Amino acid sequence: MLLPLDMLRAGEWAEVEEVSGQPAWVGRLAELGIRQGSRLQVVQPGSPCLLNVAGCKLCLRPGECSQILVRPVDSVPAAV
Amino acid sequence: MTTTKPLTVALVGNPNAGKSTLFNALSGLRQRVGNYPGVTVEMKKGQFESAGTTFDLIDLPGTYSLAARSPDEMVAVDLLLGRRPEEPRPDVVVSIVDATNLDRHLYLTSQLLDLGEPVVVAVNMTDTAAAQGIRIDYEALARELGVPVVPLQANKGVGLDALTRTILTTAGTEPPRGPTFPVEFEKEVAALQAELGGAVPGVLVRRLLLDVGGYVEQWLVGTHGDGLKTQLAEARGRLAAAGCAVPGVEARTRFGWVRHAVAAAVTKPAVRPVTWTDRIDKVLTHRVWGTLVFFALMFGVFQALFVGAEPLMNRIEEGFGFIGKAVEGVMPSGPLRSLIVDGVIGGVGGVIVFLPQIMILFGFVAVLEDCGYMARAAFLMDRLMSKCGLSGKSFIPMLSSVACAIPGIMSTRVIENRRDRLATILVAPLMSCSARLPVYSLLTAAFLPVRSDDHPDGYAWWVPGVVLFAMYMIGFVTAPLVALLLKRTLLRGATPVFVMELPAYKRPTLRAVVRRMVEAGWAFVRRAGTVIFAAMVLIWAALYFPTADPNGVPYEDRLQLIEQKKADAEARLVELPAEPEDARKEAEEAVAAADAERNAVNGEWKRNSYLGRVGHALEPVVAPLGWDWRIGTAALASFPAREVIVGMLGMLYDVGEDTGEDGTALQEAMRKEWAGGPGGKYPVPVALSIMVFVALCMQCVSTLAVMRRETGSWRWPAFTFVYMTGLAYVGALVTFQVGRLVADAMG
Repeated sequence: MLLPLDMLRAGEWAEVEEVSGQPAWVGRLAELGIRQGSRLQVVQPGSPCLLNVAGCKLCLRPGECSQILVRPVDSVPAAV
Repeated sequence: MTTTKPLTVALVGNPNAGKSTLFNALSGLRQRVGNYPGVTVEMKKGQFESAGTTFDLIDLPGTYSLAARSPDEMVAVDLLLGRRPEEPRPDVVVSIVDATNLDRHLYLTSQLLDLGEPVVVAVNMTDTAAAQGIRIDYEALARELGVPVVPLQANKGVGLDALTRTILTTAGTEPPRGPTFPVEFEKEVAALQAELGGAVPGVLVRRLLLDVGGYVEQWLVGTHGDGLKTQLAEARGRLAAAGCAVPGVEARTRFGWVRHAVAAAVTKPAVRPVTWTDRIDKVLTHRVWGTLVFFALMFGVFQALFVGAEPLMNRIEEGFGFIGKAVEGVMPSGPLRSLIVDGVIGGVGGVIVFLPQIMILFGFVAVLEDCGYMARAAFLMDRLMSKCGLSGKSFIPMLSSVACAIPGIMSTRVIENRRDRLATILVAPLMSCSARLPVYSLLTAAFLPVRSDDHPDGYAWWVPGVVLFAMYMIGFVTAPLVALLLKRTLLRGATPVFVMELPAYKRPTLRAVVRRMVEAGWAFVRRAGTVIFAAMVLIWAALYFPTADPNGVPYEDRLQLIEQKKADAEARLVELPAEPEDARKEAEEAVAAADAERNAVNGEWKRNSYLGRVGHALEPVVAPLGWDWRIGTAALASFPAREVIVGMLGMLYDVGEDTGEDGTALQEAMRKEWAGGPGGKYPVPVALSIMVFVALCMQCVSTLAVMRRETGSWRWPAFTFVYMTGLAYVGALVTFQVGRLVADAMG
């Protein structure tokens, strides 16, 4: 099941499937660790939302979150 | 030991990697700021010596990648490649990374390896990593990365010697090679390189291909024509068909390489421990509690700016007043004395007086930024600020501008997005600063007095408060609206991606905070101060010349005569016995008459000065605002610094510069003078129209000077001056005309 990132609830983990939008923006997110295959957790949903990406806290606006499609996963992956 | 030629070392790292801490630890006090034409970024340069070698250190702005999207970001890349004429190409690039987050930080390192220069990796915050249970095998890491690796604790100064030794041994060695990209990609790079020739370094050819719509593309398409654009599109199409589309191919290749290196050298605990940062963030980023804490904190900062700076500012003003008086006492009167007392000493005082506020605000900004709170504040305020097209990072500069726009504008440096930063700078002076407060309170006291025994025809007790509140609201409402307008028109562009990292909390060091305060103060004095000073002298001259009245008698001589008369009368007053009351009264009247005459001569002087003549000429322009030429001249004279408007009005209405606490003398004089004009009929609309003008107008040379310094050109201050003056004129016009209608309706 693929979801836009802003549909996740607090505490949920997901694996990034697809990041769409302008190449520059996709590139920027990739630099920050949000790219296909990476795992992240929604710490605090809302506007802007707070994510935990590989132990780092990032905040994003919902419009931008909706361009990130994720697949929810059950728990913390071993290699974070 | 022989002294060889200095070694140029560039420090590069992600924001929050501890780059500035390392820079300060290495270079100590031997620092200066490098400016680059055409861009807003500043780079710090420092120098130190070790083992007989001089190290020239350049601290580049924190960045996540070398993919430049703007001229500002390109400066860093150009500096690293030795493509800026101001700086030599670095001999060694130091890539500083955070030990607790190697996976992310080594991405930038992998890009640095493409530069073709020796690289040293400095792994910072090793103590924090150890506390989190992260173990790093530095030898293995160095082997995997192919470059020397040095563990560091920059905040404690641990590992600095090892770092400088490693830099020395690495200089001049064979440059490393970065991760290998797919063959298809390398083929396209080679083809493009052949096309562009040797003038474009290989690393930029890679960036050209990788960064779709990036700065390198814009630049090279600009110089090589649209043929390159087509070629690029074709190359990218072929890459996409081969399964390595840009920009994904870069992230995949680099992160794959990083993961491989980290897997071989770093052991992490199975479960990430809950850190202090997580616990504190539970409260500080909470929508309700976090916002409450934020506002409490802002209130504290504000209070300190207003209350803490005031005694210092008063002391400075008194000090300069005292020096002025002292000089006045020892010099003969004439243009030179007036220039030194009113122009030079007044001008310097007008610059120095801003220092307490600037330094206090920067102390707070430094603490909040260094401990990591600033990002939380921006996170909390983003929802509100995004409504006017800005981001959360604009909030603190805007709020600080309520104390004074100068430190507010200087603190916009925390906003990386150029358009957001410009929009914030351009609207910050609309916020009602503390210099407007005396104007509001004096005019309110003079024209909207509270009903009392002295003022039987006064207003209800709440009227002054409401007027003051309304004046502040003008700024709070206009600034976001103008920001929104600017972002929709002049500063339009793709909505910047708002991604912000919330760094781990750190303890700020006193040294770093003091350094920031001193730097901010010094930068203001050195660069803005000169402009402010020049403007002050200019206005002084416009008000001082010509020095003789139309009959050719110098004003100074006339004033001296009056002073003589006054002194005589006062001397008589001392000698006279208490008894014959008439004689005493006569002498007292002579003193008062001399004072009035002196004020009249001073007023005449100002009226006949060049500035006064301009004010006269402008009367038709200001008439629709309900102003006479005196108010127009006072407004004109207060363009360098708005707080002088009240004193200037006093002078022009012959009541002297000191209008007293409640301005009653000024009020009476103005009422009397206005009897025939619009002011006599509508004193309140005229007073409100002046206040609205002051609220919206760009009457502060210091702000303009700081704007020019922060934006790097006169274009933006000129634009702000024009739009704010226009806004002020329209605002004052509407206020007076509506006020007049209301006054007529109320009879």
